[in-house]
Amino acid sequence: MESLLAEATAFGNEDANASLEAKAQKALECPCIQNLRSGPCGSQFSAAFLCFLKSTAEEKGSDCVQPFVALQSCIQTNPNAFPKEVLENDEAETQEKPSEDYKIIPPRWAVEPTTSPKTKL
Amino acid sequence: MSPVVLIRGVAAVGDLHGDLLKSKQALRLAGLIDSQDRWSGGSSTLVQVGDVLDRGGQELKILYFLEKLKRQAVKVGGNVITMNGNHEIMNIDRNFFCVHPSGLDEFQNWAGWFSTGNNMKQLCDGLQKPKDLYDGIPSTFPGIKQQYMNGFRARIAALRPQGPIATRFLSKNLTVLVVGESVFVHGGILPEHVDYGLERINEDVRDWITGSRETVSSDLVRTRNSLLWLRKFSNETAEDCDCSLLEHALSTIPGARRMIMGHTIQRGGINGACNNRAIRIDVGMSQGCINGLPEVLEISEDSGLRILTSNPSDHQNRHDLLIPEQHGPREVEVQA
Repeated sequence: MESLLAEATAFGNEDANASLEAKAQKALECPCIQNLRSGPCGSQFSAAFLCFLKSTAEEKGSDCVQPFVALQSCIQTNPNAFPKEVLENDEAETQEKPSEDYKIIPPRWAVEPTTSPKTKL
Repeated sequence: MSPVVLIRGVAAVGDLHGDLLKSKQALRLAGLIDSQDRWSGGSSTLVQVGDVLDRGGQELKILYFLEKLKRQAVKVGGNVITMNGNHEIMNIDRNFFCVHPSGLDEFQNWAGWFSTGNNMKQLCDGLQKPKDLYDGIPSTFPGIKQQYMNGFRARIAALRPQGPIATRFLSKNLTVLVVGESVFVHGGILPEHVDYGLERINEDVRDWITGSRETVSSDLVRTRNSLLWLRKFSNETAEDCDCSLLEHALSTIPGARRMIMGHTIQRGGINGACNNRAIRIDVGMSQGCINGLPEVLEISEDSGLRILTSNPSDHQNRHDLLIPEQHGPREVEVQA
């Protein structure tokens, strides 16, 4: 997200004398985030994005919990908030063939009980 | 508002094991955080000796919390130093034997939002396509109950070398630390570790976690006598502490007078063995351990050792170390 913010902010920063408010508004117009501003959660995205850019809190954005939680809730209730083809995990094609010895050591409670009645460890 | 801070010094806290509430209680008891959970330790340095992971369901919350505290501390001249315990290495190694079920939930939830964030980035023109979080991780593991599969996959993705959580948090951990006369290590140090080089040990482990190094020696972090698993100096019965070996190890580190360790639960609370050359600070405070009373070790500038404890009853065998809590543990007012 840092580089995106940098790009959008740079877009809004052309006029160094503009107010934080104006800069944030300008940043919102950056074509780079137009996809995120559309769809059912677009307004929530814009609100969170604007809040962060305008934040003057010591820890920038720490006063934006509400709009970010609103964005989260929106995404939760709208699984298709953003264009589906992009949101789909294309795991299948990117995944390297896992090697045979790719094992984990599980905790006891996660192990499927064996069908053999003899094993009582 | 007059800021109240600890005497400039070092505070050390033991194994936290996924229990955020107990972690905060310990730090508050030591005056390191205020009622709003903000750093109030001024220029003190907090050392956490490892084992944040496993046995509880707030592992990520503790990692983020300590990171946030560090930023606050550094601003006022303090510091928070986090270290590797054997449980950090186990998780990086996909050894999930001590994971708590709620620890799968927390990581799965994290992974869901991390992936959503990645997906949103893909909608931004001009941004590099982020690598798939689960790249190379099998979708299923034989013999594991189906309902836990995604939890384990999330843990692997987060904690494997180069994983986002490993990189952001665990790669910042030290494996061995010397502050003044004190040597901090999760399990213990042997002369052969000193021979290998303390700086080199920290580098090896860090480089393995960030992925710039293929592997890290098991003699350093995985075997019984490694820095993270050793119990020779932390056995609960003080008589079982190998004092001559400890002296030998300490003598190989210039200026070192004591070793401060976690790893082995001390039911009686923080204590010293071998004339306080071995200080054992794992009190098993996590609910996933023995739900022990939080305690913090403080080392003041003149090297005095104190135990900050919430335990009202005294401990007979550690009078020389103990300072019980007295309405805000020995806080000192300073001018801002």
